[in-house]
Amino acid sequence: MGPLAEGVAAPPSSYAGLTTGLAVLMLVIEFGMLQATLLRAQVRLYAAQSVVISILAVVVAFARSVPELYGLAAFSVLLKVVAVPLVMLRLLRRTNQEIAASRALGVASMVLLAVAVAAFGFFASARFGLAGPVLPAATLAVAVAIVLVSFVLMIVRRDVVSQAIGFFALENGVSLASMVVAAGLPLILEVVFLFDLLVAVVVFAVLIRVHHEQAESLSTETLTELRG
Amino acid sequence: MTLHAITLPIPVVQALQVLTVLITAPGINGVIARVEARLQGRRGPRVLQPYFDLAKLFRKEALAPIGASWVFLAAPLIAMTCYLTVPLLIPVLTTFPLPLAYMGDILGGGFILALASFVIAVAAASTGSPYAQLGASRAKTFAAITEPVVLFVVFTVALVTGTDLPYALAKTVRASADQIVRPAHLLAAAALFMVILYETGRIPVETHTGTNEFGMIEEARPFEHSGPYLALLRWGSTMKQLILFVILINVFVAPWGLASDATLVAVGLAILALIGKAALLGAGIAVIDDSFAKLRLFKITEFVSAAFMLAVLSVFTLYFGGG
Repeated sequence: MGPLAEGVAAPPSSYAGLTTGLAVLMLVIEFGMLQATLLRAQVRLYAAQSVVISILAVVVAFARSVPELYGLAAFSVLLKVVAVPLVMLRLLRRTNQEIAASRALGVASMVLLAVAVAAFGFFASARFGLAGPVLPAATLAVAVAIVLVSFVLMIVRRDVVSQAIGFFALENGVSLASMVVAAGLPLILEVVFLFDLLVAVVVFAVLIRVHHEQAESLSTETLTELRG
Repeated sequence: MTLHAITLPIPVVQALQVLTVLITAPGINGVIARVEARLQGRRGPRVLQPYFDLAKLFRKEALAPIGASWVFLAAPLIAMTCYLTVPLLIPVLTTFPLPLAYMGDILGGGFILALASFVIAVAAASTGSPYAQLGASRAKTFAAITEPVVLFVVFTVALVTGTDLPYALAKTVRASADQIVRPAHLLAAAALFMVILYETGRIPVETHTGTNEFGMIEEARPFEHSGPYLALLRWGSTMKQLILFVILINVFVAPWGLASDATLVAVGLAILALIGKAALLGAGIAVIDDSFAKLRLFKITEFVSAAFMLAVLSVFTLYFGGG
């Protein structure tokens, strides 16, 4: 095999390629949540995203010898892959609702909007010039894009479950960003974040149950009606 | 003189590229139909069935609707010419560019494929048959939304190689395994694969079984053609499928097994490798055909928007130095 021709961009190292690839996979799953119509599918996508971030944590821990991240990975598997999806699925089973309520936009326009918002995130975070000690700078851009797309998910979809899942996914984006900026963050802080998530789950669970009892649906559109 | 020492003249290799696509294209369709049937528990048609169908159509008489213009009869020939031109531009058999290969880049090949699709649409429109016209107008509408996806894939290629020649990307991909697993490349290849599912009229966009139904797009266009003209259109559509497969396989995903010189053995092995790889890809597409439902017509935009998202993300990751 001859040398590469002029102008050929050198590929990233396999570590950078793998970590960026995993981060981008999280973003792609986030886009999948935008498209998912079944509420159960959305919870599963969240679990898949959490699996990916746990794998990413293990990869970083192994390749860059940051042993704290093993602990983080273990905690996030327990909480975000097992506990949170189980709670959400149980709630869903109780409400007997399977299909998400109407959205403010069609799926295609929603995806285009999210692409534009993600582009903004990419360009904005490129201006920071922040490069973490263990992860390539592009993963920070992806993390910002995940956070922004989660906002789109929460704003555009009009059901309580999507909004809860959007919030949880936002936490995934934030913890990806924290891995880039401060991978060696003391484990206790990371765990505090995760328990914060647990509190959010409880709050959202109560919200979903109360809302479903009062409105007989998971759609938030009914909330705009005046009650005398 | 041993077999290994026989070197083919370059023009012969160039002609072989076109002939390989021309002759094996219907067979790939046969493989897909066969695998699909086996997965459904049926025995399925012979792999060679598409050839028998073509032979049968060539023996039938040709009819044209009253009032159809000359475009109606010229379109199958023009489309076939286009499909015979594109294999000159892409690495079908060889790693090294053949003399005519730099006549056009990826965009040039895209234009020629688009011209073929355009003349078929004009022919369908000239028949006055509502069904063919419906197919033509749908095909053009959805082609307009898949176009941006292809453009962004080309941007990815351009950012990676500094050019948009198919041979250059294939060479880059062969250079190291890191080039294949880089995120941008994977995303672009996935987006291209989704476009190919759309362009070849496969599930989840369209059923490919030849039954008439309202959701038809590509398959509705040759509705009024018959006899040898219909045979040419059918043959052309299988060639378009194989050309797109070759672009995906030999440029993006697996550009191995190509001949690095013009010896008879190398070129022969390259032909066999191409048939094998295309059959594998076809089997993969048959699995998709059997595991998903057809999307409703208005949901196709969602499918395309997903492909667009992948292509755009691929450009982003490259542009910001991550991919």
